[in-house]
Amino acid sequence: MSEIRIENLHKSFGAHEVIRDISLTISEQEICIFVGPSGCGKSTLLRLIAGLEEATSGSIMIGGKDVTHLEPYDRKLSMVFQSYALYPHMNVRDNIAFALHTAKLPKDQIAEKVAEAARILRLEDYLDRRPNALSGGQRLRVAIGRAIVREPAAFLFDEPLSNLDAALRADTRVEIATLHRSLNATSIYVTHDQTEAMTLADRIVVLKDGQIMQTGSPTELYDNPANVFVAQFLGSPKMNILNVQLGENVITIPGHKEIIFPAEAMPQDVQLGVRPEAISLVDPDQGQFTGVVKLNEYHGGSRTVVADIGVENLVTVQVPANQSPHIGEKIRLKCSIENFHIFQTNGQRFLTDSGKFLEAKLSDFDK
Amino acid sequence: MRRRMGPRWIVFAVAGFVLNFPILSTLMTAFKGPNEVNRNASLWVEAPTLENFATVLTISDRLNVYYYLWNSLSAVLIGAILPMVVAFPLAWPMVRRGYGRSILFPIIVNLRALPLIVFAIPLYMMYATLGLLDTHLGLGLILAIVNLPLTLMLLVNAIADLPIELEEAARMDGARTGGLLIRVVLPLCRPALITTFVFGFITAWNEFLFGLMLTTSEAVPMTVGASLFFATSGGGVQWGVASAVMIVAALPPLLLGLIMYRRITGSMVAGAVKG
Ligand SMILES: Nc1ncnc2c1ncn2[C@@H]1O[C@H](COP(=O)(O)OP(=O)(O)OP(=O)(O)O)[C@@H](O)[C@H]1O
Ligand SMILES: [Mg+2]
Repeated sequence: MSEIRIENLHKSFGAHEVIRDISLTISEQEICIFVGPSGCGKSTLLRLIAGLEEATSGSIMIGGKDVTHLEPYDRKLSMVFQSYALYPHMNVRDNIAFALHTAKLPKDQIAEKVAEAARILRLEDYLDRRPNALSGGQRLRVAIGRAIVREPAAFLFDEPLSNLDAALRADTRVEIATLHRSLNATSIYVTHDQTEAMTLADRIVVLKDGQIMQTGSPTELYDNPANVFVAQFLGSPKMNILNVQLGENVITIPGHKEIIFPAEAMPQDVQLGVRPEAISLVDPDQGQFTGVVKLNEYHGGSRTVVADIGVENLVTVQVPANQSPHIGEKIRLKCSIENFHIFQTNGQRFLTDSGKFLEAKLSDFDK
Repeated sequence: MRRRMGPRWIVFAVAGFVLNFPILSTLMTAFKGPNEVNRNASLWVEAPTLENFATVLTISDRLNVYYYLWNSLSAVLIGAILPMVVAFPLAWPMVRRGYGRSILFPIIVNLRALPLIVFAIPLYMMYATLGLLDTHLGLGLILAIVNLPLTLMLLVNAIADLPIELEEAARMDGARTGGLLIRVVLPLCRPALITTFVFGFITAWNEFLFGLMLTTSEAVPMTVGASLFFATSGGGVQWGVASAVMIVAALPPLLLGLIMYRRITGSMVAGAVKG
């Protein structure tokens, strides 16, 4: 198992620059997740690491060795493809053993390793079947089996769950997490699903337009997003962003009363981010602002309420399922200011002069 | 609801009859005696006889049908297999690396558009120099050239249709180019290889021009040999014998087609990708 270090990596397809100056270190035994919207370059970055694409510039090191110009097979990585890419003319046993055959391992060792992988992945009963006689979940397990038998330096996964239905996806996600814990292998996992990212990752790398927006643990990214993009990408429903005025120790949402927000900053326009789960419905005599219910979605355990708070601002609120305001009802909303995220108008996190995130000084203030 | 099948079968039967009329007619004629051939042009055979087949299948001092069949078979196998051996390693780099895609591929494919007779004179002289005239190898080589364009085209299409992920997966799994071709690409091209073999075999088997031109006695193929049966005893065309020899000559490609038919249409990549 090895550390993977990427330095100033660039990749262009013709004039189209897909990966722009990415530097990143993935530590040993860590599961690192690349997330981002479709077309942001996640697969390309993974394929650059795999050696299936050649970098335009920059370098890739695996376990301290520069592999930038090596062929895929010399990088000792295993990859699980989005389409699984099982060899259709071979049965499950031969699919799993393929890499062992190319490595010219002795027959008895191959049989042993295949049996072990089949046991871990519960594929023992299917070893003689061809891939077209397997279900989607079984195919994925074969693809994973093919990756684990060769004990690679690291595992690469490209959206492995995207072809499964929702229930199976959740189960398989848990299995992959368990498998990762037992193998303790360095893994890179690409997904565009923020739930997968949040639940599986030791570290998340959020990508947009071929650039890293932020890296960090799931909690770091969730609690302290570096910009509006990351803030809205992680978490569901996504974070509310309102254009507000920051004044002296107050924040003003257009059309509403000032909210007391003691902080060290010059008065200016900013973006206020509030997560839907940080807002609650309160009695009319409490709270900070009023809205008119536009939508009320039932999710079983909770409800998502969308309220119009005027001046073209919509606010999404997550409430317990028993609170069910009807459409058109006036509701009073409350959010404690410790849950406010302040961003500059350009979308970057607002930093104070001392380089810290702008937050309310709660010691000065009775919340 | 059960549909009425009657009218359909009538349509099938009529179509089958019309399309196969020449074959049926030849087949029936082969069972007619010399007198009946001239008298009775209908499909009905009044006095069926195996006499014509006996004539064809008996070795005479002048004509030996087994020899022609053997000549054809050996030249045709060269002519059908050699292009696959040449085209497969050409097709893969053409598709995956683009090598030769702009010049070599069009040249080879356009061979198909040329009337083959333009090759006749230079080829004859070349073969005479090389000692390839009237040999199985000589005839096989030219049949291979005739088959190369179609073979290359079919293989290029087949390889282009293979999901690239399969090759990428194999490379991740440690396969070098040679192993990749033999263990992944070649088995997945099997349906295309069978198709090219069948078409190549049929084309080569039916080839007449080069057989006539490049062989004289040692390597005369069935197509040329069949024509020798038409006028065995000088007294005009013996239609019964001619029909019988045509049936015999048509059997090998027909059998091959029947055996391989199901395999031509099959695809190998089901289950490779997606769920
Ligand atoms: N071989 C290629 N040639 C040209 N452009 C490419 C090639 N591969 C990818 N691209 C472009 O690079 C960009 C990033 O593609 P990539 O596949 O990495 O996106 P992704 O983040 O994996 O998206 P998705 O979530 O849809 O899989 C896209 O705009 C795509 O069109
Ligand atoms: Mg992708």
